[in-house]
Amino acid sequence: MNRIRMWLLDIWEVTTMEIRRVFSNKMTLLVFYVAPLLYPIIFGAIYSKEVVNDVPVAVIDEKPSTMTRRIIRKLDATPEIRVDYRCDNMREAEQLMRDHKIHAIYLIPRDFTQSVEHMETGHIELFCDMSTFLYYKSVATGASSVQVDELHTIEEERYAAAGITGETAEAMVKPVVYDDIRLFNPSGGFSSFFIQALLMVVIHQTLFFGIGILCGEANEDRKALHYIPKRLRNKSLHRVTFGRALCYMLLYIPVTGYVLWIVPHWFRLPQLGTVHDLVMFLLPFLLAVIFFAQTFGNFFVRQKTTIMLCCLCFSVVLFFLSGVVWPQSNMPRFWLAFSYIFPSTPGIQGFVHIASTGASLAEVRSEYMALWIQAAFYFVFSIYSLRYIRWHEKI
Amino acid sequence: MNFKEQILTFQRVMVRELRRVRRQPRYVIILTLLATLIFTFFATMMHEGIPEKLPVAVVDLDGSYLSRRLCHELNATQSVEVVAIYNNHTEARKAMQRGEIFAFYEIPEGMYNDLLNFRSPHFGLYSNTAYLLAGMLSYKQLARLGMLAAGAVQREVLRKKGYDDNAIQGLIQPVNMTTHQIGNPWTSYRIYLMTTIVPVAVSFIVILLTVYLIGREVETKGVNRLMRHAHNNAVVALAGKLFPYWFWFSLLALIFNLIMFGPMHYPMNGSWLLMMANTMLLVFAAQCAGVMIAGCLPDAPFSMGVGGIYGALSFSLSGFSFPVEHMPRIFNGISLIYPARHYFLNYRDIAFFGNGLEHCWPSMCALIGFGVLWLIGAWRFQHNFDRGLLVPSSKTLEKKEKGGDE
Repeated sequence: MNRIRMWLLDIWEVTTMEIRRVFSNKMTLLVFYVAPLLYPIIFGAIYSKEVVNDVPVAVIDEKPSTMTRRIIRKLDATPEIRVDYRCDNMREAEQLMRDHKIHAIYLIPRDFTQSVEHMETGHIELFCDMSTFLYYKSVATGASSVQVDELHTIEEERYAAAGITGETAEAMVKPVVYDDIRLFNPSGGFSSFFIQALLMVVIHQTLFFGIGILCGEANEDRKALHYIPKRLRNKSLHRVTFGRALCYMLLYIPVTGYVLWIVPHWFRLPQLGTVHDLVMFLLPFLLAVIFFAQTFGNFFVRQKTTIMLCCLCFSVVLFFLSGVVWPQSNMPRFWLAFSYIFPSTPGIQGFVHIASTGASLAEVRSEYMALWIQAAFYFVFSIYSLRYIRWHEKI
Repeated sequence: MNFKEQILTFQRVMVRELRRVRRQPRYVIILTLLATLIFTFFATMMHEGIPEKLPVAVVDLDGSYLSRRLCHELNATQSVEVVAIYNNHTEARKAMQRGEIFAFYEIPEGMYNDLLNFRSPHFGLYSNTAYLLAGMLSYKQLARLGMLAAGAVQREVLRKKGYDDNAIQGLIQPVNMTTHQIGNPWTSYRIYLMTTIVPVAVSFIVILLTVYLIGREVETKGVNRLMRHAHNNAVVALAGKLFPYWFWFSLLALIFNLIMFGPMHYPMNGSWLLMMANTMLLVFAAQCAGVMIAGCLPDAPFSMGVGGIYGALSFSLSGFSFPVEHMPRIFNGISLIYPARHYFLNYRDIAFFGNGLEHCWPSMCALIGFGVLWLIGAWRFQHNFDRGLLVPSSKTLEKKEKGGDE
């Protein structure tokens, strides 16, 4: 009994010592508190419009007719497209495109009306600016919805001309009806998909860098042992890693709550999962990140500023490794295996499943297990890393 | 000090810096490797250009010949692959929540009979747009196949009614649209991402490195020697110190661009010379931003944190993914203080539209204009140095005293 009490006291001593350290260091405070406070708001604001609508487009109608006018009207009526310019020829439209006044050219050729009237197929050409994919996506969606609509209108006219009317004609025009249901992000919005993952990256990276900076500070001039209570220096070091983990955990509970609960509420991001599932899932995530950062920091970081210098740019790789943009099913094996070194991969996957698709813990079991395995693995390694430091400083 | 002397001073500082790098090349090597890793990562991870064989599923409540044929047709396409056939909706939804599939068809019971009797059966097409790219792509493919299937049914019926094939074609497809994707005809995701992310990553690394280098001089008390070498002229001192890095990282970014637009055949419609100037100016502007941050904030670790917070937004605010024009107004202004934004605008003009200097001069000038930040940073640096403010951060001193006691 006494031993357990002693053990807990030892851990608590490390924890309080570490908390004091965190609050006496301007840089860690910046990384632990200012960055997670700012970034979610900035990202939320940047992507607040979700979709790119009213993309300016130029139309070239080489031989106007009732039909082409109807098509252009429909085009302008789509939410995605705004017909800003009517051009007489391609050169004029091209110049507008070069000046970035439009992002697509919609060309209805001279023979279009004639072809349709002769019961043939009329061709329309669409030229898209591919420099920004979201413009292309919007224009393509808008234009193809007009095409499908026009298809049905003309078909009905033709069936009527061929003597097929009423329900039969309707069934002929639409032999199969598709109810397309976009689950979890119905508007196809950019932020609903992007920010969820970004928020997890923010948690992962700020925690990682904060701990890394503390490790670097300790290792500068080989003074790491100063930050371990004297009577614990020669004992088993798991008390130290545990105590520190407890400290970061306590500091990060409010931060995580803010980033993953309050911010999504503000920006009305999908939050389908239950609080219980979310908390249960985030526990191993935080633990895995904390032990991972301690392992990395003790082994590799020798100055407090170098971890940001050498690893900050890696965040963008981390984001793409998580598989929210480029799906995991299409990643080369090597990168897929590599991605599981980092707690961010299962963390982001699991969080997106819980928050955006309303999965319960049972559905994210593989990610959940992966996080626990990572936490255990890095816990053991963080002890060894501290031992290495002790050995390193004693010689 | 006349011009010739200044050049000599510049040289002296530069030689000193090169010696320092030779003595401790660690960080330059690590950062070069990091940039190379980022390049290789995007080049190899998205080698398909656009995801292929995305996992989708079918909920087959009909179990007829036609529904099985639909599965075969789906498997024959390049972009999706049917990985499972479920018996009910819940199973499919759960698979979607586990992330195993990105979309699924729900074929209703009695579909075949309804079809034959002109009762327009309703198909369910579900897609998971929480994964925007994969979800939208598989949705698009499924919808397209659905249209084709509908067309096949129409054709069958009309043929039985005695129409010839030409008339049928006109009846079921009166309007056809061809899409031309200017500058990226393969809709390759790799081209779209890499061309901006890789140079921007280099610029981000340069910002951090610049802040680090200046901070390091302060922390190691090398700043006195540096200023002595430069005859107490901060502008020359910083120029000489940072020039080798500008050279090295410009070279690196140029090599990346050369590989992308050369052997990897990324679209490049404009002048190579302009693109090279754009790349080198990007690195220069990133250094200027770094000098500004490090010069104004003499506390080295703190300035590093600020540099990180500033630089990390380069990717978003360059506007290559979500257009800046569609962000809230204020970000239109904020994006201008990012070299990455101007680089992207230039790149778009040069590589996509083949525009010349008459189009991209504003952004080119803006990149050169970052030089003003350099001057401000250097001025603050000089000011702080003259006042004796450039000493190692107080924490290090305290620690050393404490360490000395024991």
